[in-house]
Amino acid sequence: MIADKQPGFDTQLAYRSQQLFKEIVNDIDYNIEYTQKGSIYLIESEQEWEVAENYVKQQVADGFPMRMMDRKEIHDDEPHIADDIIGGVEIECDAACDPMAMAYGLALAAQKNGAEILTFHAVKDIKLDEKGAVKSVVTDQGEILTKAVVNCAGVWAPHVGKMVGIDIPILPRQGQILVAESTIPVGKRKIVEFGYMMAKFGSSDYKRNVSPEIEKYGIAMVFEPTSHNNFLIGSSRAMVGYDTRVSIEIMRGLAERAIRFFPIMKNINVIRAYAGLRPYCPDHFPIVSPVEEVPGFYIAAGHEGDGIGLGPVTGKLISQMITGEETELPVERMSFARFKKN
Amino acid sequence: MEDKDMIICRCEEVTLGEILQAIKDGARDVTGVKRRTRAGMGSCQGSSCERLVEGILRRELKKTQADLKPDPARPPVMPITFGVLGGDQD
Repeated sequence: MIADKQPGFDTQLAYRSQQLFKEIVNDIDYNIEYTQKGSIYLIESEQEWEVAENYVKQQVADGFPMRMMDRKEIHDDEPHIADDIIGGVEIECDAACDPMAMAYGLALAAQKNGAEILTFHAVKDIKLDEKGAVKSVVTDQGEILTKAVVNCAGVWAPHVGKMVGIDIPILPRQGQILVAESTIPVGKRKIVEFGYMMAKFGSSDYKRNVSPEIEKYGIAMVFEPTSHNNFLIGSSRAMVGYDTRVSIEIMRGLAERAIRFFPIMKNINVIRAYAGLRPYCPDHFPIVSPVEEVPGFYIAAGHEGDGIGLGPVTGKLISQMITGEETELPVERMSFARFKKN
Repeated sequence: MEDKDMIICRCEEVTLGEILQAIKDGARDVTGVKRRTRAGMGSCQGSSCERLVEGILRRELKKTQADLKPDPARPPVMPITFGVLGGDQD
């Protein structure tokens, strides 16, 4: 989705990835349940409306398909949202897929094209040659000689980085999700509260009218319908290391916020809650970059919550770096070198 | 011969044939089958099919129960409405 991106390069990157998704859907012989139904932001207050209007103006000027929806239009279009919502933003190009199917589909397609995938092989070490360039990867089942290694280990990328002696500033940022039972269509597409932008980027000049718990856990309502008539409710943020347990406080906060935007959910069942870890980079940009000090070592990690959306463009850029082609987008903003102390 | 169309996961209507294909595609535990087929993702959260899926994995991979990683247990134990969870209803 481009909906939650900052204007400029952030949006451009996501938009290019959306185009690549369409190619992938045609290229691979696997159903990744791709749909392009757009996404919507819900606006709660006049102050949010003002911020949203400026945001949309800027994005439209850059050529992206976004527009404001007034009160009548949004309630006609999404009849289950709370009565007091004053409007919204529609982002027409946003899409969704099943992320697990995406991973399996890409892996199977890669195998068909000659890739060898070694699952259940633990990487123990990466050996360098006398010049400090990548020489081999040592696994618990043997050594693999190679000139290029891509560290795409997400929240574990720093551990792989240590194997070649570099510090990668990625931290796990936990998020919890509620899964609803298969039910009536509560909403047509991804629906997000506008306050999500503030929660994601930690903007301090705007405060939502929410309980201290909602504030504390960075809870912002994200509604995501699945192609199996379930829906998912997020989102939360917490720095708790590699802990993927859910907590009742956050589950309650997510449910409270969901009902605030969709009163109809009061009588719908939650069947599961789960937690995952986003690979968080301090400046909210991923690292998609070669590592100058270790020739042959590349990093593709730190996409926080955008790993699926930015996956295709990340793969494209990394492949261009490895083959020595010119990258199709400027990559300085995502360089590993940006973290070097001056 | 077994009936490949036999439903193993009733909630999500996943068949034996689909589970065998998932194992062929690389699934090595209950979670791997679940992610590929949705078996166990329905309203009962695997309480009826998890043992069946595990049995199929044991047989196909020639493993014992102790070799197979169980799917992580997650709350809620039983379905609960957003209203009760969110504190608005009792």
